[in-house]
Amino acid sequence: MKRYIVKRVGFAAISLVLLSVTIFLLVRLTGDPTVLLVEPGASQADMEAIRKQFGLDRPLWVQYGHFVSSLVRGDLGHSFYYRTPVLELYLSRLPSSLLLASAAMAFSLVIGIPTGIIAAVRVNQWWDSAGKVFALLGLSLPSFWVGLLLILFFSVYLGWLPSSGSGTAAHLLMPAFALGWYFAAAHMRLTRSSMLDVLGSEYVKLARLKGLPEALVIGKHAFKNALIPVLTLAGINLVIMVNVAVVVETVFAWPGIGRLLYEGIAFRDFPVVQATVILNGAMVVVVSLLVDILYAVIDPRIRFAR
Amino acid sequence: MTRSGRRDVLRVCSLLLALVVVAAVASRADAQGGRSEAPAGQMTWAVHFSLAPTFFDPAETPGIITPFLVLYALHDGLVKPMPGKPQAGSLAESWSVSADGLVYEFVLRPGVKFHNGDPVTTEDVKFSFDRYKGAGATIMKARMAAVEVVDQQRIRFRLKQPWADFMTFFGTPATGAAWIVPKKYVEQVGDEGFKKAPVGAGPYRFVAFKPGVELILEAHEDYWRKTPAVKTLVLRHIPDESTRLAALKRGEVDVAYSITGPLAEEVKRSPGLALAPTYFTFTTWLVSTDKWDSKSPWHDRRVRRAANLAIDRAGINNAVYLGLSKLAHSFIPQGMEYFWAPPPYLFDAKAAKRLLVEAGYPNGFDAGDLTGDTIYGVAIGEPVANYLQQVGIRVRLRPMERVAFFKEYGEKKLSGVIFSGSGAPGNAPTRLEQYAVTGGRYTYGAYPDVDGLFTEQVNEMNPRVRQQILHKMQQLIHEKVMFGPVIEPAFLNGVGPRLEVHGLGLVANHAYSAPYEDLRLRKP
Amino acid sequence: MNGSRAAVLTAAGRLRSFRSEGFPTIPMSILGGLLFVAIFANVLAPHDPEVGSLGDRFRPPVWQQGGSEKFLLGTDHLGRDVLSRLIFGARVSIVVGFTAVLVAGVLGTGLGILSGYLGGWVDQVIMRITDTWLALPALTFAIFLAAVVGPSEMNIVIILGSVYWTRYARVIRGEVLSLKERDFVRLAIVAGCSKRTIMKRHILPNVLNSAIVLGTLMLGVVVVTEAALSFLGVGVPPPKPAWGLMLADGKKGMMAGYWWLTVLPGCCIMFMVLSANLLGDWLRVKLDPQLRQL
Repeated sequence: MKRYIVKRVGFAAISLVLLSVTIFLLVRLTGDPTVLLVEPGASQADMEAIRKQFGLDRPLWVQYGHFVSSLVRGDLGHSFYYRTPVLELYLSRLPSSLLLASAAMAFSLVIGIPTGIIAAVRVNQWWDSAGKVFALLGLSLPSFWVGLLLILFFSVYLGWLPSSGSGTAAHLLMPAFALGWYFAAAHMRLTRSSMLDVLGSEYVKLARLKGLPEALVIGKHAFKNALIPVLTLAGINLVIMVNVAVVVETVFAWPGIGRLLYEGIAFRDFPVVQATVILNGAMVVVVSLLVDILYAVIDPRIRFAR
Repeated sequence: MTRSGRRDVLRVCSLLLALVVVAAVASRADAQGGRSEAPAGQMTWAVHFSLAPTFFDPAETPGIITPFLVLYALHDGLVKPMPGKPQAGSLAESWSVSADGLVYEFVLRPGVKFHNGDPVTTEDVKFSFDRYKGAGATIMKARMAAVEVVDQQRIRFRLKQPWADFMTFFGTPATGAAWIVPKKYVEQVGDEGFKKAPVGAGPYRFVAFKPGVELILEAHEDYWRKTPAVKTLVLRHIPDESTRLAALKRGEVDVAYSITGPLAEEVKRSPGLALAPTYFTFTTWLVSTDKWDSKSPWHDRRVRRAANLAIDRAGINNAVYLGLSKLAHSFIPQGMEYFWAPPPYLFDAKAAKRLLVEAGYPNGFDAGDLTGDTIYGVAIGEPVANYLQQVGIRVRLRPMERVAFFKEYGEKKLSGVIFSGSGAPGNAPTRLEQYAVTGGRYTYGAYPDVDGLFTEQVNEMNPRVRQQILHKMQQLIHEKVMFGPVIEPAFLNGVGPRLEVHGLGLVANHAYSAPYEDLRLRKP
Repeated sequence: MNGSRAAVLTAAGRLRSFRSEGFPTIPMSILGGLLFVAIFANVLAPHDPEVGSLGDRFRPPVWQQGGSEKFLLGTDHLGRDVLSRLIFGARVSIVVGFTAVLVAGVLGTGLGILSGYLGGWVDQVIMRITDTWLALPALTFAIFLAAVVGPSEMNIVIILGSVYWTRYARVIRGEVLSLKERDFVRLAIVAGCSKRTIMKRHILPNVLNSAIVLGTLMLGVVVVTEAALSFLGVGVPPPKPAWGLMLADGKKGMMAGYWWLTVLPGCCIMFMVLSANLLGDWLRVKLDPQLRQL
């Protein structure tokens, strides 16, 4: 077990290192990074100062060292538009993003899991088809289009819900639905196939042979085991949601990280763009690691597989 | 005492009593009349651009009116435009010019305090001028011999030579040099600290700023002019036009800035909402950065003329501004002093195509990027690109957020065609200086004869001679087709039902709600 | 009763319940139709998609009051014909979509084969890179790249290709790992074939199936990502029509009731992605049941 964790942490660390190298190189590949790191329109003197400060006149590996040491110290640069450290901006917007992602996740699980189970158990032909249609649409419709349609219908025509911003539960409904539908479909699919796997397993066959009532077989044994992969996937999906929410946040003017990234681009505020990408990537790496470890804790077979 | 005598005494006493009562009531009313009731309520604006902390500091005004949205609330100036008065003394009670035109003396209004309680003194005025580095700073400081503090109330600005435009530069939003910040506080917290927690002498004080989201201000009850009626001001950043309208319709905001085209029509149609256009000296125009390159198609004057003839200005006006704007045939606004009216460009796509064929581009040409800001560059720039496309001049629209756009524009980083615009106040010479003459902040190239004329008029004190020179300059610019003027936009805003005084259009040539201390909510 | 229930849940039953047996005619015809439209856009489109007349702006589709036969699906804010823009937009979506999938596929399959067959440090290096790039959220990374290199059609293809190749690499590598143990590969090694020959003539043809299935599944994702990039303003630059851009423009007219500017382009995206997904699902079941885990 310990070996497994150590191995996984090692891989995660390597991934983070590679992530930083990737961003580092990409910024420099496109030309003089000083231009991207100072305010658009800085004077020659300013650029020289920044060059010295970031050691951009030193060899590449020294620069990289400096870059990493700043990252580790939590210095992700300063937004030139807002004059505040980017980390501060990022952290101030993170709660909104997490709120949206959590609401969307709740929606996707509440809809996805039951529909998946019902589809697997094939209680009702109608339900199964409806579920398939729902899943298919969810995986095919762009979330931002769904958002636009929701605004058109519920805000413009019916006037029931506010079309943008945040603050009340009413503000949360449409963005959460638009963001969550895709994942509801994904969770439904996974629940279904996971459920089917479990229902076909030796364990369940044995329970049936023993004569246990069907409801107990499904409800108690199959359900719990089928849920494990779904929940662990949900964990990583939460982080993915925070990232994918970029467009939903733009449509609904939701003040989250996605909007921060978008504004960073619009203002040519490069430190914000760079830092958001790094932080988002790091979040994904860390959560994958946690999910992998959790998965291994729950299911011992995994530890010995790879 | 006789009976009649007693009656007399009674009459006198009751008269005296009445007088006393009247006097008492009158004095009470007097005491109340100076300061009205405590500020109450909240007014919210949906602002179309993101407020940058540079807007909180008058030292960095970049020559556009945008920061004055905030400056009119947080700060106050020696002289600033007010309703009915283009140059009203604010922090300055009065000012005078010496006979030789070299010395401008300002007398400060006594007893005025900054938000933190520090008194406003002439030291602060000198400090503010010295630290000013925004638009026009170079010119003003070059012409300033000295700024002399005479005493606590009086300060003198001594010029090197008489300068007719001094008050235009100093006393209007052409620059922010006359807006006063507290010296002690700024020195204490530094420039960056000041932008995080600004302190000024304006009618509203800073409460909170969430970058990219909103700015919250609260009434400064001891403001010298009057106590503001509205307690809290919220300036909320909503970049998307339809989202601004939605917020207005739902009552989430009271004023929505910049609503155009079909959404403006929607405002007119909606009960309870009103469309309130404001006008200011604002023109938009096209300028090519590579007309100086002999290999570029734009080098040929016929091509530039063709571009001008290809644009249906009236069509754009009707579509985007419901016909409320004015057509522009010069890059200088019609209302400005020393404006010369050029012969209008008529919309004639056929003539435009003919000119292009003559110039050797029968199939048009690829003109690169059309860079503009996200508001006007899109609202007007897109239809313009559409018209240019129709005659074969193919451009790719590249909108940039406003502050980023002006920075790159000013640092000469843009290429291709620029969709430019300026709402900066001033007069024809200030515009010419910034955009058409060598050395100007946004000048991408100039002509020596035009430059020569500019130098001539700068020192000219005789207004009639000066006007002649300036008119000649504008004529030359028109003949050389230096620019492609498009429209003088009206600024259309949506106003909700809660407001009694929304402040739009009160201050001439100012786009936004002002003066903030005069705004009122309707009594419920 | 238990028996019949159990029968439904066997492996065969699972496969049958997954998708209907028949050839997916509707998705194929939709995709084929879009391809046709994209190729013959110049002929099919009634108007120039990039130019319009302001006087014709905001016309509703022909069946609504105010619509005209000249503009069957209405016009946008500049008077441009929506139908023509949708048609040319198909070209952008198809070209960008197919090319990006091709780039990602070639790169990912190639690296997947190398990684799976050669093993050792090559494998480790490629896998770690894949891990990292999988960690970078695709959309965020694409936005970042577009901001850094600047948007243009070619750049978007490169960006999308470089963001999505990792999905291929992972899957193909897995395939190759199991293929390596197969007899015909072992025979080839014994016979003395060079590694390159084996990879080219034995491994590659056998992973093509998976690559193709993955390709159809990725097509939907790529098209949506391209639409998202255009919507955010970092996709194909205007005035070139792209469905995502049309959605962004259409948002402005929503509050005024101009529904066709948002609903129609979105429907196009939906049909294309839906068809790609259905096709991919069918292919997956048909060609390689093992890929069910995708």
